[in-house]
Order: sequence, then C-alpha cells, then structure tokens
Amino acid sequence: MIAMSNAGASRLVLRNDVAELERLAGWIEGFTGQGTSPDVSFAVQLCLEEAVANIIMYGGAKDDAIVIAVELERNCGALVARIEDNGQQFDPTRAPPPAPAVSLEQAKVGDVGIHLMRSFANGMDYERRDGRNRLTLRFVEPAAPSSE
Amino acid sequence: MDISADDLAGGITKVVLRGRFDTTGAVVVELPFNKVATEKQKIVVDLSAVNFLASYGIRVLLVGAKVVKSKGGSLVIVCPDNNVAKVLKTAGMDSLIPIYQTEAAATAALAS
Repeated sequence: MIAMSNAGASRLVLRNDVAELERLAGWIEGFTGQGTSPDVSFAVQLCLEEAVANIIMYGGAKDDAIVIAVELERNCGALVARIEDNGQQFDPTRAPPPAPAVSLEQAKVGDVGIHLMRSFANGMDYERRDGRNRLTLRFVEPAAPSSE
Repeated sequence: MDISADDLAGGITKVVLRGRFDTTGAVVVELPFNKVATEKQKIVVDLSAVNFLASYGIRVLLVGAKVVKSKGGSLVIVCPDNNVAKVLKTAGMDSLIPIYQTEAAATAALAS
C-alpha cells in the first residue's frame, strides 16, 4: 500500500513478516532513485532494513498483528525517514553500543544493527506516543566540494 | 542473492557471493555458506559483487568465520565495495576477519 500523503512524501505500510523486507527495499529504491547520492541511498536502505527487521523479529509475539508504517520525505535538503509501529515499546536510541570483541572466538553474534543505524544516519530520535513507537532518522547529503 | 564455491590451488576455496546481502539474501545463502565453512579449512569470500550488506549478512559471515577458526582454519574477505567495507568496519568485523583488496593478497595470506 503506497500513498502520497503530501508533496514529496511517500508512505508504505508493512506487516510483521520477514518477506515484507524485500518490498521495503524496492520501495526505498523507488523513492531515492533520483536526486539522492549512492552513499545516502545506501545509508537509508541500511537503516530502514535494520529498524524494520528489528520490529518484525522482536516487536511482538509470533501471532501479534503488528503494523509498521514507513514514511520518507525530503525536508530542507535532508532525507527524513519515520517508522511507526504498534509493537512493544522499544527505544533504539537508548540501546548501549556493542562491546568490542577481543577475538573471533569470543565475538558475540548479533547486536550490530542498532550500532549500524547510529553510524549511518545523521540523527535518530525516538518517542512513544499513543501506544506506538515512532522513530525518526535523518540523512544529510555530504556538502558539495567548494568550487572556489 | 546467490553463492558459488570453487577450489583454488593450495587447498583454498573461493566463495563468491552476489547480490544484496540483507536479511532476505542472507536467509538464501546461510545454509550453503555454513556447509562450505564446515567442510573447508581455507576460505576466501569474494564480496566484489555484493552491493549491500546489513546485520543479518554480517551474522552469516561471522558465524562462518567462527566455524572455520574452531577447526584451526581461516576465512578471509576480499574486495568489498566501499559501502560494504564501511559496514564491515563499523560493525567491528575488520578486526575479526582479515579483509584484502586483491585475491592474490588473500590467497598469499592463507597459504602462509
């Protein structure tokens, strides 16, 4: 389901099913296709994949019907992504950074998704409102090299 | 996403991954990748045709590297594209799995 909510914004509604991630990727590609640098497109793809995969896998019990709404919008030169879901309360901005692994044998598997989001997005804000998680991510194009 | 494996000289196996190494792609290659990691001792993972990497893909690489290491073997990565290399570095994988820019350097490291 894709609907244009206002000029320059686009909205996609997903179910908590891993198969939905493919639809998310195609939809992001359609939005970022023109006027977005390859690096920012990559960052948006990465952060939204991580955020939505987290909700699908950990947002509720297997049979809970969780609805995930994703919005992308260009705003003052930045690309803004909003992810809203009715799953259990989870604030990724408060998740502690993963501890650096001392060796391959002792390295913990997992726990890098939120760290990747923090590193690839230029800003990440969370609020819990009306029983829903609302995560806002900002992506800024790197400044063009000065012509002077 | 797809995966292929070929035996090189010196008991080295080259695994080529292609496509989008996200959750969807990782689910597809996870089993065949684990099979190679279980059966082989020296593995070069060619990421030059991987244009996207997310945390589930990192998980598959890390689990494979751990399996090979536990048998006394070694798994290395070769030729990740810029953004894929940045994901590996951000996730701290560059200190756990050696990353090389050429296949020659990777196979030389495995042969030694």
